[in-house]
Amino acid sequence: MTETTVSPPEALVVEEQEVRPGFIGKNVPRKEDRRLVQGEGIFVDDVKRHGMGFVHFVRSPYAHAKIKSVDISKALELTGVYGTLTGDEVAIHTDPFFELSVPPGSEIKDYCLAVGKVRHMGEPVAAVVAASRELARDAAELVEVEYEPLPVLVDSERAQDEDAPILHDDPGSNVVWSGPFSWGEYESALAEADHVVRIERLHFDRFASTPLECSGAIIEYERPSGQWHIWSNNQFPGFAAIMMAPALRTGIDKLRFISHDIGGAFGNKICTHPQLTACCLLARKLKRPIQWTEWRTEQHMTNTHGNERVFRDIEVPVKADGTMLGFRCRMIDDCGAYPRYEPLGCIIWSQVTPGCYRWRHIEIDFTQVCTNKSPVGPNRGYSRMQHLWFTERVIDIVAHELDLDPVEVRKRNYIRREEMPYETPNGCIYDSGDYAKTLDIALDLIGHDRLEERRAEAAQRGKLLGLGIGSTLDSGTNNFAQSQLLNPELQFSGNNEVATIKLDLFGEVVITLGTVPQGQGHETTASQVAAEILGCSPDDIHVRIGHDTYWNSHSGFSGTYASQFAVTGLGAVKGAADKLAGEMKKLAGAVLGCSPDDIELAEGQARIRGNPEAALPFMALGAIINVNNAGLPEDLDVTLNCRYVYRPPFQVPDKERKFGNLTLTYATQIHACLVEVDPETGAYEIVEYAAVDDCGKRIHPQIVEGQVHGATAQALGAATHETFAYDEEGNLLTPNFYDYHVPHALDMPPLKGGFIESESPFTPLGAKGMGEGGGAGIHAFCAALQDALRPAGNPIVYDSCNPPHRVWEMLQDPESTRALVSVESRS
Amino acid sequence: MIEKTIKVDINGDLYERDVEARRLLVHFIRDDLELTGTHVGCDTGNCGACTILYNGDAIKSCMMLAIQADGATIQTIEALAHDGQLHPLQQAFSEEHALQCGYCTPGMLMAAKYLLDRNPQPTEQEVREAIQGNICRCTGYWNIIDAVMAAASRGEET
Amino acid sequence: MLLREVEYARPAGIAEAIQLLSEHDNARALAGGQTLINVMKQRAAAPDMLVDLAELEELTVINATGDGTLELGAMATLADILSSREVAERRPILAEVASTIADVQVRNRGTLGGNVCSNDPTNHLPPLMVATEATMTIIGAGGERVVSAEEFFLGVYMTAVAPGELLTKVTIPPAGGTGDGFASVTVGSHGTGIVNVAATVNGEARIAIGCVAAVPVLVTARPDDESVREAVRTADLDPPSDVHGSGEYRRRLAEVLSVRAVQQGRSSG
Repeated sequence: MTETTVSPPEALVVEEQEVRPGFIGKNVPRKEDRRLVQGEGIFVDDVKRHGMGFVHFVRSPYAHAKIKSVDISKALELTGVYGTLTGDEVAIHTDPFFELSVPPGSEIKDYCLAVGKVRHMGEPVAAVVAASRELARDAAELVEVEYEPLPVLVDSERAQDEDAPILHDDPGSNVVWSGPFSWGEYESALAEADHVVRIERLHFDRFASTPLECSGAIIEYERPSGQWHIWSNNQFPGFAAIMMAPALRTGIDKLRFISHDIGGAFGNKICTHPQLTACCLLARKLKRPIQWTEWRTEQHMTNTHGNERVFRDIEVPVKADGTMLGFRCRMIDDCGAYPRYEPLGCIIWSQVTPGCYRWRHIEIDFTQVCTNKSPVGPNRGYSRMQHLWFTERVIDIVAHELDLDPVEVRKRNYIRREEMPYETPNGCIYDSGDYAKTLDIALDLIGHDRLEERRAEAAQRGKLLGLGIGSTLDSGTNNFAQSQLLNPELQFSGNNEVATIKLDLFGEVVITLGTVPQGQGHETTASQVAAEILGCSPDDIHVRIGHDTYWNSHSGFSGTYASQFAVTGLGAVKGAADKLAGEMKKLAGAVLGCSPDDIELAEGQARIRGNPEAALPFMALGAIINVNNAGLPEDLDVTLNCRYVYRPPFQVPDKERKFGNLTLTYATQIHACLVEVDPETGAYEIVEYAAVDDCGKRIHPQIVEGQVHGATAQALGAATHETFAYDEEGNLLTPNFYDYHVPHALDMPPLKGGFIESESPFTPLGAKGMGEGGGAGIHAFCAALQDALRPAGNPIVYDSCNPPHRVWEMLQDPESTRALVSVESRS
Repeated sequence: MIEKTIKVDINGDLYERDVEARRLLVHFIRDDLELTGTHVGCDTGNCGACTILYNGDAIKSCMMLAIQADGATIQTIEALAHDGQLHPLQQAFSEEHALQCGYCTPGMLMAAKYLLDRNPQPTEQEVREAIQGNICRCTGYWNIIDAVMAAASRGEET
Repeated sequence: MLLREVEYARPAGIAEAIQLLSEHDNARALAGGQTLINVMKQRAAAPDMLVDLAELEELTVINATGDGTLELGAMATLADILSSREVAERRPILAEVASTIADVQVRNRGTLGGNVCSNDPTNHLPPLMVATEATMTIIGAGGERVVSAEEFFLGVYMTAVAPGELLTKVTIPPAGGTGDGFASVTVGSHGTGIVNVAATVNGEARIAIGCVAAVPVLVTARPDDESVREAVRTADLDPPSDVHGSGEYRRRLAEVLSVRAVQQGRSSG
């Protein structure tokens, strides 16, 4: 493996860069590391409470069935069992979770345990709590559930058939949400085209980032106040609280969320509110702390999958020179048995409607349906990844069909640097980027000029070599008003994040964040930003670990998700630090007898500019405010304890036209992949890989690169082996790591990395959120595969996941995938 | 309940405890002895988060019963640092950003230590093979490989 | 992840082990545990008694006799096989194949006997045993007997080791002029086999195909590519379909991999 980080001679930026001598942009040592490398991180399963009961969920073996009866009596007889919870109790003590959709989807009744019916394999039907983990499992086996199996629906394209099994009786339909999207003048574009390329079907497969730490919680209930203390690894407590409070018929503040260290989440720890609700009920009922740890098989079966999406009847009008005018498509999204965070996925893709390209005429018919599969969650790349894979497939297929070079087609159609900020057909504003330049760096890293030479050399060894490009965007900092484009009645819009910062009695600077980090280094980057503003070192700043709603540094949207920390989280830190700096200068001015404007913060002191002898160390400032404040001016409004809410500048979009800005920043990822295929077996090797990233100002370059690496590895896993496949009965065929192969160290290709920094004009630090990546690895791998197989009958890569057997099938029968594509040429 | 008394040396401390025969070694370490640095990440023995050194061998403690460990000498992640001094591997992991969430890290470090103790100057391929049984979802492994190579090249006594 | 209650014994010698296994109806021998513990975690198997073979030192020995025969104790770990000088000198294919099984941690505990007796159709060693004409020594209350590899593997998870019996050693005949080969397509590097093929070539090719049936399928052929392909086709394999591949895919893989395994055997003989 070689790792070369390529930085071009000058960083390419949209705006002039200020000279930054401070900590931003430096690889300061990570604060998190010391405890984590010693195994001293505190993950939820590490936490113990006196008298705690371990919960084990009884889960449905059927994908779809009526529940005739649940008998817990034998379980209760087992010594060491503390109690149980069933769907009947849940239906009495809770209200169904809030549904985000419009009718019919809004009529879905979703409880924390199955009530009356199970709708996916593994759905929890009852819960048993016992003195040990093993006993809880033993007791769970003694719970007797009588089921009446029902017909199963696993094909989203059959969900609206006349005779389709209906999952939810109240809406009476499997449709969660459905609606048209239309921008530009598609019919004119069609009339103007020289070629029309039609693709019958593309399929983005079900997979998930499967964080190594499973979900879990330890929950205590304080009887006198009705306060729940929920120590969990849920990554979006803002959302969890909004879901749980009405269900539990309690106030938001009664749900205290605490997290410490989290072993990865990637969006799969957002929708754990059902399990948390069940545990809350048990904590109250059994009057003891409840400990829940999810098992790997449970995670794979139920919590959660990424959205599965089918693209049908794709039509692409193209000019003779390869200019793409637009596209039309019918999209069917499969959200599994319960929507939960859905149908937000039905609009979130539109943050990147045109992908990286300049086409303007777009028509989409989008439907989301329920099936008897695991509920989905906002898995890394949520909804944009699926859409961007679609745009990249379209580019490659059109290029191949018209015998054009996929590199040239991209360059011809990419949005240009000069056009930034660029307004997309649906009113989203791409803040900055230089896609052509980023692509050039990727091509250089992958050795594009030697491609034909390598292809010939591989052919001599009987192998097929292919090059693929995946260009993608990571849109970050959501405008939650996009939810109103799906349901005008919803009262969500904008976004926010909170941070507090204080100067303590002995001069210690302490920060609390509203975010919920799972390895992204928030403590470190927050301290970098604050240190620069306060004129001290990141080592002088203590960032409290994790999240706690009792710190009062959270708001409705608090959490860590959707590639936004660098903007929202650090925006909040910057705002809070600026506030504190202002107060420190005011106080110092009052004490030293000068204007606050004459005070500078440097070297851990507040001092008069030009007169460094007149200085107050931080400790002095802290002491004065905390314990020594006699004689201060009456109107001095200084507490040295600041709270700041960062709010990005968003409006509510035009709901009629579905037009308006939905995300604040757009990071670019352009990857290139070289794949060598063994045509006799369908097995392949990724022989080279290049990842070029542009996320604006990089606060901590190593952390940014780490996110790029992680996103790449997950994407390559998704592109090669990771699939949540179901049989006709709704049984999950890959329920754990034995069959669901995630990449390990021997599977990873050599990696070359590069970057540019196109700063965002819209963010406090010029940085853009970037953790998710846009699935560039999937797009690049699929493109490389298709390129490799061209000489072997030119099959089309139609699925996002291509294990060896699928490659082999494409080689055996290229005609059947070719039958999916047609070209109508008018010139 | 079928229980037996076992004696295990873990990180130089001798523990004598009653265990159920069915209790997994990883749960014994984590729950009974409260050494929570060793982690559980899967239920099929694939992920390696539970890796420890058992009589000198790197093994997955989720595929052994505690009762089998009677009389054994075990090292867990808690043994690596000494008196607040990080082991060179721990230091290298931090410097190379070979950890993000830190959940796979203890198992990864034990697997890396097992390699360097027996092969102080491994090739990159040997490093990959040594950590093949440890799944990481955050880093993509590239920085981990760099970290192990960096620790090896420092050539200090591991 | 959490086992049912089970009893546990750690006998000091073979005789005691046999006695425990015979006395308890639902007793299982515990070797490395890399399969059995996992299966118990799923609660797919629930023996009442585990007979831990850890004290049976004599079963860990790897021994080469004068004429080149290799005797491997059933409790020799995969790591032992990898580091064995005797294996490297007499039949290196064993180490080559063992090095691709799972990972370092699993190989430190997983045993030859365990891999062979669990007889999962995707295991690596059963086809290798059949191709190399290994023989298995089984000990029971009635004494000792030797079974050929072909007769040893009876069905999915089923071998000739009956309740109350123990596999004690696997004997691999001298290589002589035989060349060995092994080819596979797996789920990820060093992953579960989709199809695996072991072959030995000495005048004729002896090909054992794994992952396509309950037990390895033995095919013999002249050692040229076309004959091998023809022989595999004639074997009329009916492999299972699953998430990793269709029956048809496996059938065709079996042909390709048999050719490759024999090619390797030809060049190493």
